[in-house]
Amino acid sequence: MTLSAYLVVSGILFLLGIFGALTRRNIIGILMSVELMFNAANLNLAAFNRFLHPGGVAGQCLALFIITIAAAEVVVGLALVLAINRNTDTVYVEEFNLLKG
Amino acid sequence: MLEHVYLIPLLPLAASLIMLFAFKESEHSPAPYVGIAAMLWCFIQSCVIFYGVAKGGIHLPYEANMEWFKLPVDIGGRSFAYSMPLGVLIDGPAAVMLIVVTLVSSLVQIYSTAYMHGDPRFRRFFAYVSFFTASMLGLVVSSNLLITFTCWELMGVSSYLLIGFWFEKPGPAYASKKAFMTTKLGDCGLYLAMLMIFIKVGSFQITQFQEFVLRGYLAPAAATFIGLGILFGAAGKSAQFPLFIWLPDAMEGPTPVSALIHAATMVAAGIYLVAKCYFVYLAAPVAMETVAWIGLATALMAATMAVVAYDLKRVLAFSTVSQLGFMMCALGAGGYTAGLFHLTTHAFFKALLFLGAGSVIHAVHTNDMREMGNLSKKMPITFLTMLIATCAISGIPFLSGWYSKDMILEKVYEHSPVMWGLLAFAAMLTAFYMFRLIFLTFTGTERDHEKFHHAHESEYPMTVPLMILAVLAVVSGAALAHNGFVSTLFAAPVLPGAKEAAEAPAWIGWAMTAGVFVSIAFSYFLYRGPEFKTAESLKSTFKPVFNMLEQRYGFDAVFLGLVAVCDGIARVSYWIDSEVIDKVFVDGWGLLMQIWAHISELFDQLFIDKTVDGFGGLSVDLGVALRVLVREGQVQEYLMYVAIAVSLIAVLILFR
Repeated sequence: MTLSAYLVVSGILFLLGIFGALTRRNIIGILMSVELMFNAANLNLAAFNRFLHPGGVAGQCLALFIITIAAAEVVVGLALVLAINRNTDTVYVEEFNLLKG
Repeated sequence: MLEHVYLIPLLPLAASLIMLFAFKESEHSPAPYVGIAAMLWCFIQSCVIFYGVAKGGIHLPYEANMEWFKLPVDIGGRSFAYSMPLGVLIDGPAAVMLIVVTLVSSLVQIYSTAYMHGDPRFRRFFAYVSFFTASMLGLVVSSNLLITFTCWELMGVSSYLLIGFWFEKPGPAYASKKAFMTTKLGDCGLYLAMLMIFIKVGSFQITQFQEFVLRGYLAPAAATFIGLGILFGAAGKSAQFPLFIWLPDAMEGPTPVSALIHAATMVAAGIYLVAKCYFVYLAAPVAMETVAWIGLATALMAATMAVVAYDLKRVLAFSTVSQLGFMMCALGAGGYTAGLFHLTTHAFFKALLFLGAGSVIHAVHTNDMREMGNLSKKMPITFLTMLIATCAISGIPFLSGWYSKDMILEKVYEHSPVMWGLLAFAAMLTAFYMFRLIFLTFTGTERDHEKFHHAHESEYPMTVPLMILAVLAVVSGAALAHNGFVSTLFAAPVLPGAKEAAEAPAWIGWAMTAGVFVSIAFSYFLYRGPEFKTAESLKSTFKPVFNMLEQRYGFDAVFLGLVAVCDGIARVSYWIDSEVIDKVFVDGWGLLMQIWAHISELFDQLFIDKTVDGFGGLSVDLGVALRVLVREGQVQEYLMYVAIAVSLIAVLILFR
């Protein structure tokens, strides 16, 4: 297995995340797509660490931090989704344009 | 006393400054006593020095110098500090001139206490007179030609101030201006000579200059240039042909000032300077000959002009010019001793004549001799002293003028008999017009009865100086000529290898004396009696000649023409400056720049500003246009555009 294989997988994951984030109407789906993008970045970090600095652990450490932050972010995001759902009775983003300028 | 000779110019200078700044102006100001005291001290000091010289206790020349200033010089790659000395140089002529100047100035100041009494600018008059005398004394004692030149110019200033002393009247104001300008014209020549001296000799020290010339280092052309330059300066100061026009007008000043100018200062300075630089003329025969002829021309022209003048002071003024011509001619003819001798004796009798004339004018309040007559009855002392002076200037035997004039004519005869003939004629004219003055003023019958009635003898401060000067006018010639003292005192510098001139025959002296008596007799014949009809009829017969003489040979017209030409040139130049240079170049250039500025402003507004605004407007328009694409509030669309932009940037970076 070479580095490029990992990077290709990670790139596919990232593009899938973007595609989901742009096309899903459901906010929960968008959150999940964002998680996909996070994981693409994590995969990148782990792969670079493994192939470029095999003795080090900086990449893994950063990936761990990102997992933690992603968890926290999902908590906040789901709380927001719940609040939105309770107030407007919808989970579709196109119907929710409260911050419209 | 000799080592403190520097006090002689400095004391009167200090006195004049004290009088100017420490005293208040008032008609009874005590200021004159300061000036008189300073001048008397200088006189005593000069007498002591002269006594030492006469006794042989002091060996002349005496020179003492100190450093004045230093300046860095770089000549031909050699650089050194040039030190300019400042000092005194007393030789025979200087020792005598010191006495003459201080004595005449003291007497003039004593005389002025009475003459100027009640003048609103009493104190200022004495301050100026002291300053004038101080300048002359500085010129006499200076060992450095630069100082000499400075004093020369200071004298020009003081003569301007004194001739124009009554500046409220147009006459004195004009006369002072004329005197100043004319002498300045001469000073240009002197200035050029000074520059040439420094270029050639590299020093202003008279002794160094003399040694340089006497050893024959000075090229004849340079010597001629310097000689002519000095002569031109002296012609301005000593009123020689053709610059004598200022002296007759200088009569507008107060009479004591005229006495001072004509006897001791100013006009003596020119002769004195030529005598001081006599060695240059020895090295430049052309310049020397020019001196002689200029002097001769002056002597003749001034004497003829004096014959027709009716203004008492003007006759004396022309006589001064004429006598100065005698001195110049003597110097030019090789009579160094004779010229300086005559300068000395002339100072005494001319001061006496002017002070006497002042006394007469003070009494009758007019200058016109036709309104006088028979004044010998009213003013016996003035008459007697003036008669003595007239005899002296005419060359009556055994009076001072006889000795000096005799010596001059002898020297001139040795130089050129033709010149002697002309000069002898001028001397006879001198006797004629001087006795004409005496006959018109003091003898005959009174022509203006009212003026005659009010006339009275002047008070003692005026008559005592007259008497002192009269004594000197009698004895000074004999005293100086005694045992040939004058020849050792005024020993001329000699070029090595110069040969003695031939002795003049003895008869010329007696011929001259006879001629003088003849012209006096002629004068008596013409001007005796109350109406001098003979003279008047002669005048109407030779009207054109008399007119020409009264017009002073048209010299004033020539100089006024010169001034007019200069005025015209100035006016044309001014026109060119104001109309051409200012209008075309200055204003035109300004206009051009203004137009250019307008063009650039227009360009700025039309193009540069529009471009800047255009970019701003473009961004605004672009933003507005792009907003149309976005449905507001759709987060996913925002995100899409971000994604598109990021991918575009990524592509740009990757495929750069």
